[in-house]
Amino acid sequence: MPNTGTTRRGALGLIAAASVTGARAEVEAIKVGVLKLASSGPVFLAQDLGLFASQGLDVQLRFFEAAQPVAVATVSGDVDVGVTGLTAGFYNLAGKGALKIVAAQAREEPGYKLVAVVASRKAAEAGLRRIEDLPGHAAAVTQVGSSFHYSLGLLAQTHGFDIARVRILPMQSVPNVVSALKGSQVDAAIIPATAATPLIASGDATLIAWADETPWQVAAMFTSPRMIATRRDALQRFVRAYQAGTAAFSAAFLALGPDGTPQPGPGAEAGLATIAKYTGQSVASVRDSIPYMDPQARLLVGDIYRQVRWYQGQKLVDAGVDPASVLDLGFVDRHLDLPK
Amino acid sequence: MADTALREPGAAVRFRGGGFLPGTSRLAAVAAFVGLILVWQAAISFGLVSPVFLPSPVEIASALRDLTMSGELWRHLSISLVRIGSGWALGTAAGLCVGTAMALFSLARSVGLPMVSALYPIPKIALLPLLILWLGIGEVSKTATIALGVFFPTVIAVYSGIDNVPRNLIRMAQSFDVPFRDIVWKIALPGALPSIMSGFRISVSTALLLVVAAEMIGAESGIGAFVLQAGNLMQTDQLMAGVTVLSILGLIVGAALSWAERALLAWR
Amino acid sequence: MRLHVDIRRHAYDDLAVLDGVAFTVEPGEILCLIGPSGCGKSTLLGIVGGLVRPTDGRVSTEGALPEGSLNPFTFVFQDFALLPWRSVAQNVAFPLEHHRLTASERDALVAEALRRTGLSDFAAALPKQLSGGMRQRVGIARALVVRPALLLLDEPLSALDAQTRELLTEDFLDLWLRERTTAIYVTHNLDEALRLADRVVVLSRRPGRIKEIVTVGVPQRARRGPEAATTLAALRERLWSLIRDEAAIADREMVHG
Ligand SMILES: Nc1ncnc2c1ncn2[C@@H]1O[C@H](COP(=O)(O)OP(=O)(O)OP(=O)(O)O)[C@@H](O)[C@H]1O
Ligand SMILES: [Mg+2]
Repeated sequence: MPNTGTTRRGALGLIAAASVTGARAEVEAIKVGVLKLASSGPVFLAQDLGLFASQGLDVQLRFFEAAQPVAVATVSGDVDVGVTGLTAGFYNLAGKGALKIVAAQAREEPGYKLVAVVASRKAAEAGLRRIEDLPGHAAAVTQVGSSFHYSLGLLAQTHGFDIARVRILPMQSVPNVVSALKGSQVDAAIIPATAATPLIASGDATLIAWADETPWQVAAMFTSPRMIATRRDALQRFVRAYQAGTAAFSAAFLALGPDGTPQPGPGAEAGLATIAKYTGQSVASVRDSIPYMDPQARLLVGDIYRQVRWYQGQKLVDAGVDPASVLDLGFVDRHLDLPK
Repeated sequence: MADTALREPGAAVRFRGGGFLPGTSRLAAVAAFVGLILVWQAAISFGLVSPVFLPSPVEIASALRDLTMSGELWRHLSISLVRIGSGWALGTAAGLCVGTAMALFSLARSVGLPMVSALYPIPKIALLPLLILWLGIGEVSKTATIALGVFFPTVIAVYSGIDNVPRNLIRMAQSFDVPFRDIVWKIALPGALPSIMSGFRISVSTALLLVVAAEMIGAESGIGAFVLQAGNLMQTDQLMAGVTVLSILGLIVGAALSWAERALLAWR
Repeated sequence: MRLHVDIRRHAYDDLAVLDGVAFTVEPGEILCLIGPSGCGKSTLLGIVGGLVRPTDGRVSTEGALPEGSLNPFTFVFQDFALLPWRSVAQNVAFPLEHHRLTASERDALVAEALRRTGLSDFAAALPKQLSGGMRQRVGIARALVVRPALLLLDEPLSALDAQTRELLTEDFLDLWLRERTTAIYVTHNLDEALRLADRVVVLSRRPGRIKEIVTVGVPQRARRGPEAATTLAALRERLWSLIRDEAAIADREMVHG
């Protein structure tokens, strides 16, 4: 008996050793922090289509509830790569040299109506109809320094008024914003289309504008400088597979039809099913929240600079943060909107 | 061994009644605090902990100093203190009434007990969207959030406090034909005071805790809103400065309550 | 004022506690109540004082209540029942507060009660600062301050040590000899009963019935003298033989509930 025991243990050890060396030779593990949102679609598609595997990567998805924790987890090394929205908080963290933006994710683009500025019933009746009417009113956002806040700032710039003339009320969550709108507690709010559409349909809110006028970089793929320094090759392969994912995503969902709205392309049905599976949402709600993104995951680099400067102007990002230092443009070719 | 001392003729009796009488030393408390801060600072200064994750005490102190100098701190604090004060007062007043009623009347008790058990564990943050719908985003909903959090522990403290007033004191009063109202005011409530005071300890901490939740509701200023925004913006030094202010507030209120307890419960 | 007690039956739920207890308390007498543990003495006192509603029975008075009594039937409790947050004087003032008295009338009544119980120097003390004996003096002062017509004392001294008990028995007797307030006095202590009682009601074990009513026959003032000694010793034997077996059986009974 003791004899067979030893033999068996020896055999098991051999198998384990073999599989470890095998993994080292072929597959490299990468942990990716994502949100369960349609905008994470490229990652889900790349995973399901075996794009990561074909680059010799074993991608493990880690799901988060909000963008901020993804950034924190990337800094702490709990995940190797993060893919989520860019916020003032992100830039403050990245500005300490802890994060580098590598590739693009979702961005605003005319025709892709994903974020709405709406007026409450009462304010609309009192004459709040257009973006230009916003000064002197109170507008709810989820958080100060969020992408919604920046969107509103961009709209103010394009429409020629000072954002300081709008009272920004942070409500911390979309349900809180919706509640405030329903009770006409705020005059206006900027919220995702998925939350705005039912409010508009029920008459609780009136659409003022879609926030898709100016293209800007809403979300990105980022990593830690340590990752870049120590696993550059794996990261490069990850970016390649990720780009293939954005290309598939773009082909499936982002082509505009003759009427100027997105039309389903090749692989749309299967793609929606994949994203629905990963996000736990219905196919319909995934379809309604597909954002635009560059097919090659190229960044609107100039916009990153503009974001940082705008946030700094609002005193939401530390004055010492240098936009150039939060970017590593060496992994994706031909980024867009490069500053001179 | 130890016993042999007793067996040897002429040996002194060994003292064996020591221990189990812990005292408190203010010096030890302060020393522990200072020690913790020194270790913390050292860990960051020597690069053992990245300042990205944990701002150093020096950073926090300088953030706190800037906030104080600029008047920002006082602006946030004064607004929050009004919210905390009014919410606490409201929740306490309601809690005292309901708790007393539950301790004295069968109907109130039958209805109240299951109600409290059902509603107390609901996280108040989960109710924020409803509170906003019902009460708006002004001061009312913020005060109500705090009041609601204060209400339940107060009800429980008052109810169980009165319930535990020795029955024979009430029989004594009845044997002198003391009217019901007087029994409530002169026996039930003073008798429940120790329990009510320890309830206050909980409810004041709850109020401080909930100011952050309350100021989730569209607050532009207030110490809770400040902490939230610092968190959203990943300004960890500001965040810790705000949290420090809250915990100093907790210390001050705790000391005030201890003083009040010594004054009001000297009879124990 | 004469008091008629006639309790045909008293039960707590299924537990029969008193079963046919009837007696009359004569004006100005001390009636001691003795009986084994749990036989219903406190219950009986509670019924007399209106704190317990009898299952079937009635307590009535005959003749005029004394003038100026603010609380005709007044208890002295075994555990003193003092309000710990009130000073001695405030505790004594407690039963006066809901009566229409001016502050100075009230203060005068309190001062008088404190003086009679030897508490004048302790008016401002809190109960926790007092010994057990002093606390029960406060209980007695609080009972006297309302000028009771009937004192209901439920083992008032049993929480005290033997010497304090002696002292307070003496003091209580002195007070009583001056006022002759009618009293029902529950005790376990035969000597106490024989020092104080005009008559001793002996109850059986639960459900309490009257086993016998023993008249002491010697005036309270004379009971310490040598002449009374033999009579009292005989009475003590008698009482002891009456309750001894009852107490022994009651002691072996399982505690109810
Ligand atoms: N409120 C009550 N509800 C139910 N049972 C009671 C209640 N009060 C007393 N009893 C029970 O009734 C019986 C008589 O109680 P009581 O206190 O009258 O006896 P006692 O003669 O005064 O006893 P002791 O000598 O121990 O003081 C006891 O068995 C007691 O447990
Ligand atoms: Mg008793």
